[in-house]
Amino acid sequence: MSDEGPTPVEPITATGTAPRNVDGQAIAITVFSSVNWLGRLWLPILFWAATLVARVEAWLGRPPGTLARLSFIHFARWTLVRRIPYNGPPQRKETMTYPRLFFESNFNGGWQEYIDAFSHILTTGMKAFWGTSYGFPQPLPAGPFKEYIKENELVASHFYSAYPQATTTMVLAALKLAPEFKAFKLQNADKSAVDFAEAWREFLTKVQGSL
Amino acid sequence: MSNGSGQAYAFMAMTPVLEGHERELRAYLESFNQQTSPFATLTQTHFARWVIIEDWVNSSAQPTQDHLGSPYLIFTSNLHGRIDDYLDALCNLEQASAIWSHCIGCPTPAGGPALKAYLLHNQLDTGFFVAAYPDASVEQVQASLALREQLIAFTVRSQGMDPTTLKSAFEAEFPDGD
Repeated sequence: MSDEGPTPVEPITATGTAPRNVDGQAIAITVFSSVNWLGRLWLPILFWAATLVARVEAWLGRPPGTLARLSFIHFARWTLVRRIPYNGPPQRKETMTYPRLFFESNFNGGWQEYIDAFSHILTTGMKAFWGTSYGFPQPLPAGPFKEYIKENELVASHFYSAYPQATTTMVLAALKLAPEFKAFKLQNADKSAVDFAEAWREFLTKVQGSL
Repeated sequence: MSNGSGQAYAFMAMTPVLEGHERELRAYLESFNQQTSPFATLTQTHFARWVIIEDWVNSSAQPTQDHLGSPYLIFTSNLHGRIDDYLDALCNLEQASAIWSHCIGCPTPAGGPALKAYLLHNQLDTGFFVAAYPDASVEQVQASLALREQLIAFTVRSQGMDPTTLKSAFEAEFPDGD
């Protein structure tokens, strides 16, 4: 607990969150929720299964799962905090009656739209991750769930993105485009101007979805 | 535990803030912007944040309430590559020393291998980590984005060029070795 008085409330920006949660196109969400006894057992199993599925999909070369297909998420994580490391006095040994579910996301777009998408697209997944958190109101309707996230959300003191101008879609498009362009250059460098122009038009048609 | 996804790594550490230091620490962290951010010099960093938690939020549905013994500094980073290399670089930054010297148990001086060991001691392992592009380095992402921008601009500029002009303009825009 702080003895320095309440932290000033941050204004909300057009993105629907505090300015310190924003770096260019990137937005940070940081949330802790308290977990009941069932979650203490359930969440590690869920994490294990979700990680296993993601690794098998990657190994098989399949498209990523539903969460990764939400095209505005760069990175997201869930952590079940059951104990806080002790560093000796004057730190008080923390006795956690309830584990805490930590959720972090780095995404682009608006805060409201993000939570809406989570609620509508990942309805079952949301129940799986937050269903054992105290006070969780169910993903739908989205209004109470947004209130729940707001109540449990922390504002970053500093948030950084290495490419703040880019959305997730832009990054994925750019990563797909780069090797295709390299191949185009290699294959067409020695062509006549007429053949090169034809190949260029074909290339643009092929990669138009990445531009 | 699942701190990794491809070449991406999710690091998290939670360190207790010394009594009476929260305001100064918060002001220092809030003084950074995109250009002055310590993370800008850590080229493995995709996204990172520092967050101060003053106390747990307790739901009215909980049978009892929990409280933290002090405020905590939460540090998370989504990085590319080896965590050892990343922490080595991080712990050599002046700003890292200035930040974690506000925390209980931080070594004096706050830097180098001692600070790295402190952060690893306070690490909290990730349960489930999702990365949209787990195998791309920061440098690769930035270079690909720059190339895409360049290609878009060239595509617009080259519309209507005859084949000879197009080829020479292309070679000037994208010389061999790029």
